[in-house]
Amino acid sequence: MIAQRQREATGTDALAVILLALLFVGLAVGAFVLLGASINAAVVEADAGEVFGTTLLRFLNVYGIIVPLILIGVGIYLLMLGTRLFRRDVRAAAWAHQLLLWMLIALIVAIIQGTVNALTAPALESGDSLAPIVPFLLAALVIGVAYWWLGQNTGLFRGSETLAEASSRSAWNLLLPTIIVLLVVAARPLERTFISSLTDQKFARRTDPSFVGLANYAQLLGFRIDSIPCERDGAGVCEVGADGQAVFPRARDVLGESYREMRYREIGSGIRVGDSQVLLSVRDRDFYYSVGNTLYFTVVSVVLELVLGLFIAMVINSKFVGRGLMRAAMLVPWAIPTVISARLWEIMLRDNQSGVINSLLVNTGLLSSSQAWLANPNLQIPAMIMIDVWKTTPFMALILLAGLQVISTDIYEAADVDGASKARQFFQLTLPLLRPAIAVALVFRTLDAIRVFDVFQVLLGRAKLSMATYNYEILVNNQELGYASAIGVIIFIIIFMFALVYMRILGVNAE
Amino acid sequence: MTSQTATSLQSQASAGEGIRALRRLVGRIGFWFLIILILIYTLFPFYWAINSSFKGENEIIAPATYFPQRPTLVNYQAVFSNDQFVRSLGNSTVVAGTTTILALVVGSFAAYALGRLRFRGRTFMLYAVLAMTMFPQISILSGLFAIVTELGLFGTQGALMVTYPLITLPFTVWTLTSFFRGLPGELEQAALVDGATTFQTFYMILLPLTAPALVTTGLLAFISAWNEYLFALTFTLINPAARTVPVAIALFGGTVSRQEPIAEIMAASVVVTIPLIVLVLIFQRRIVEGLTAGAVKG
Repeated sequence: MIAQRQREATGTDALAVILLALLFVGLAVGAFVLLGASINAAVVEADAGEVFGTTLLRFLNVYGIIVPLILIGVGIYLLMLGTRLFRRDVRAAAWAHQLLLWMLIALIVAIIQGTVNALTAPALESGDSLAPIVPFLLAALVIGVAYWWLGQNTGLFRGSETLAEASSRSAWNLLLPTIIVLLVVAARPLERTFISSLTDQKFARRTDPSFVGLANYAQLLGFRIDSIPCERDGAGVCEVGADGQAVFPRARDVLGESYREMRYREIGSGIRVGDSQVLLSVRDRDFYYSVGNTLYFTVVSVVLELVLGLFIAMVINSKFVGRGLMRAAMLVPWAIPTVISARLWEIMLRDNQSGVINSLLVNTGLLSSSQAWLANPNLQIPAMIMIDVWKTTPFMALILLAGLQVISTDIYEAADVDGASKARQFFQLTLPLLRPAIAVALVFRTLDAIRVFDVFQVLLGRAKLSMATYNYEILVNNQELGYASAIGVIIFIIIFMFALVYMRILGVNAE
Repeated sequence: MTSQTATSLQSQASAGEGIRALRRLVGRIGFWFLIILILIYTLFPFYWAINSSFKGENEIIAPATYFPQRPTLVNYQAVFSNDQFVRSLGNSTVVAGTTTILALVVGSFAAYALGRLRFRGRTFMLYAVLAMTMFPQISILSGLFAIVTELGLFGTQGALMVTYPLITLPFTVWTLTSFFRGLPGELEQAALVDGATTFQTFYMILLPLTAPALVTTGLLAFISAWNEYLFALTFTLINPAARTVPVAIALFGGTVSRQEPIAEIMAASVVVTIPLIVLVLIFQRRIVEGLTAGAVKG
């Protein structure tokens, strides 16, 4: 394209350039018209006296946020491209050529899909069912001709495209498929989740959802802190119960109508301040429990994995026969599907002597009797932690090992010569130098642990919830799509904040 | 040890030699003891699965024994005559295979652009891809659920093929980008000087060079798709015929008795895990490289 000789435009060529530019302006106008029509459709359907929220919701449900934004962006871009084509800018021509190709591909895909649909649709006259394809065929024809013509006549355009500009154009071309896929599988579902979190949508029910604003979030996160005075006897002194503690009335009996109506329930046992008790009440107790469980699981398992992983990495970070085999063995827990490792441990944790963990601990005298690891509420999360630590410590160790191996051995020799003890070398050399690897491993694992689903779902079901299994239960078993969406959005925000920290630590090497 | 310290050691009195040798020996023994301990810790649960899978119905509920007393193949026979399980193996292969190929094709384009080409917006795209590798699948479960239902894919393998790129693609792009970046630049420049287009340079010169990286990344993508549970469970809930392996194993029910068929579950687990472990053993060096790429250097 760069090398082609520029020629002067003759009459027909000039007309063709103008037509091409008009095609792009037309496409831009088309994008805006489409947007206008979709807004219009949402407004026209509105009943008299309808709340604005409902109209907005209907629009969002059908078109979302991303698609209109893309339409606006594409419209503006095409308009600019069109004007630059009028001026016969060769760079605009190169981009136009590329865009025409993508449009052609999209149209061909649409035509193939339409044909397949028409052919597989049962009991329809083929003439009728193929009719919707016709406009696509016409558009493909126009675009195809424009593409072919532009390919033949780049010489008509003025200026030249630098190597950098050409490579930038190729880069966006190569990225386009990835961007489209990620828009479809990530951005669109995320916006759908957000939109339905503002509704009372139920799953698998035909009734129209209605707009409820932030009610789902209020229900999910709602909490209050109350101070409840103790029960007083005639003399005005706090009554003392059988356990020697002051007696407090039940929160729901003294906190009035709204407390009961909003379904507040106390969480924890409250803190005694003077003659009163400070009590935390929440509207969705299961959610707060699930957050607590997840935090407990995350903090303990990540710390254990780090300590154990560091230990293992230090042990294998020396040359010995069979190190490759050792590394391979350490990948085994990582490769086993989480569901399978959950079931493996389920069998190992059986609550009588047929469970090998109980058998081992009782026989060595570490436990006096067999424990019901998966049924005892106090042992359920420790059991989950045990499984997670087993499964991911080797992975942690491998990341840390890679970090250890880039540390030069010279500094240890220097430290030896200086007479620094091994412990001092560890704390003052190894740990600081390993900090980047530790940071990465930590945040990686933290993010994974916060969204833990598989082990909790397989082994505990509804008995003890993590945030992810709570979301799943609400969605699938309670069929509360709107409410589940709100939970999803909250989880997303939590993880997003962690991810920001992660990216600050890791950074992107973009020189 | 440097030669300086070695000579300084040699020059010391030989009386200390015996004690040092003894200390070295103790150190060696301690070291191998630790190695064996770590090996037992990582491998024991899988050994236990193999052990349990050869036990009969009575032995499995008796107090634990470290070897099957009367080894039997009955569990494996049961597993392979279980239609649901066999079908799930096929389903998983199809779903994970399709997802992997898609991720490699689409991902290698993007990785080439991010790893080798300079353009405005590159840093932003790198951050976007990195952020996507941490995308919490659970948080968009309900949105995806609605979309999958609208597309008429609910309860089919199609639902998984459509949604799995969320898991495999960002990670593939990220890993391949670091591989592309590590390649020498001269080849490409030579090709460009000779008049090859960027795209030709990509698939005729760079792609063959990254074949090993493609194999590794593909393997990692395959494993993550094969092991995925959340989407598989949710989207195939109404249709047992579309279940993948993790779902089949999580919901494994007995064919004969009502009691939970522990030994059969273990046999199924072994059957599913052995191929993964073989792959991991073959490619272990590359997998470790792939997993730690970008994590260490950043």
